[in-house]
Amino acid sequence: MAWLSNIPATVWEGLRAFLGPLALTMIVGLLLTLGWVQVNALFLVWLERKVAGHIQLRIGPKEVGPFGLLQTLVDGVKLLGKELITPAPVSWPLFVLSPILVFAPVLVSFVVIPFGPGTQIRDLNVGLMLIFAFGGLGVLAILMGGWASNNKYALLGAIRSVAQNVAYEIPLLLSAMSVVIMAGSLSFQAIVQAQEGLWYVFCQPVAALLYLVGATAETNRAPFDIPEAESELVAGFHTEYSGMRFALFFLAEYTNMFIVASVATALFFGGWRGPFWPGPWWFLLKVYLLIFVVIWVRWTFPRLRFDQLMNFAWKYMIPIAVLNLMVTAVVLKIVR
Amino acid sequence: MSDQIGTDYLFVLVFLLAGVAFALVPILLAFLITPRGVGLRKLTSYESGMTPIGQAWIQFGVSYYLFALVFLAFDVDVLYLFPVLVAYGGFAWRDLVGLLVFVGILSLAVVYAWCKGVFEW
Repeated sequence: MAWLSNIPATVWEGLRAFLGPLALTMIVGLLLTLGWVQVNALFLVWLERKVAGHIQLRIGPKEVGPFGLLQTLVDGVKLLGKELITPAPVSWPLFVLSPILVFAPVLVSFVVIPFGPGTQIRDLNVGLMLIFAFGGLGVLAILMGGWASNNKYALLGAIRSVAQNVAYEIPLLLSAMSVVIMAGSLSFQAIVQAQEGLWYVFCQPVAALLYLVGATAETNRAPFDIPEAESELVAGFHTEYSGMRFALFFLAEYTNMFIVASVATALFFGGWRGPFWPGPWWFLLKVYLLIFVVIWVRWTFPRLRFDQLMNFAWKYMIPIAVLNLMVTAVVLKIVR
Repeated sequence: MSDQIGTDYLFVLVFLLAGVAFALVPILLAFLITPRGVGLRKLTSYESGMTPIGQAWIQFGVSYYLFALVFLAFDVDVLYLFPVLVAYGGFAWRDLVGLLVFVGILSLAVVYAWCKGVFEW
């Protein structure tokens, strides 16, 4: 039976010799990412509904599969069978492009997410910046889709979304920067390596808090879900999208949650560090704990009014973030 | 060195293209298998079930454009800071003062907007 257990290793070695290590990493990484994106979205939608249910003293989905785990899969199949309606007044090239543009950049971020020491598809030396750069493209897609819909709700939702994302991107970047200045690198491996003794959440509690609030706003989640406030704007920017196009917006949203939580884990919570288990398990555990907190917040706090939302970002978060960064710079200079 | 950078961005490019392809597949699949109904009303914009009044593409005051202007000032600031912070290890006190002055001047954008009443609604 020994030859049976050797098969995976043999196949791996064979592929490695045939394709070369680089192409193999690329292909395997890509396949794993594509699978992960779907499993993650299926699981998160289920988790969201289950947590929401229990917070509101309901059970949540329970019929399809054990504990209702397959509910999202069934919903996905249903969405696949729904008609793709393109309303007559839309600007159709932009309307069709928007769901694709919202999803494609999301995948790129997976290149640099550090699941473990060396367990990373490619350690770019500008990893953090890559994630923020491609994260910023999402706003463009939302504006494109909202404007192209030629629908009042969609347009208002898109404009609000842009104003909000733009406002919260600055504290997000500034709080990430106070980690960069301490680690002296933008590469995720280096940033996690630098948290050898102490996680940055203990040196930079203010930055960690700012990052989490900013990330919640960047992913358009309650209490910052004004862009899709269903009581006033129907569904915001994706009002006119149906079927699979709508599903792509959702897939991108839940994958974005995973990405911002991964970045938070790597920047502030020691990445893959932890006793007993191998790194990737710790990393995933931390990521999903953070996501659970974000979901918990959504079902606990009411939505902010729009002026409060904007003023909170500009009057409090940005000045605090700038001060935090400058104080970090001065303290670092004194200490070193 | 440049070879390694080329490989790095090859990964980014491949993942981006794969993202586009991956997004296209379900849309094409849905396009092939979904039913298609006919009817004029179905293709109108959604306006809570009423007949839509006019278009959304009209001129109206978007009060957020001032925020956009302040954002531009800050975003340039942030882009400048990234390389500065990575190289921070080798800084002298004089460089730190320069950094503080630069960020301080750019932060005046928010102070100016605040005094001008942009944040009053």
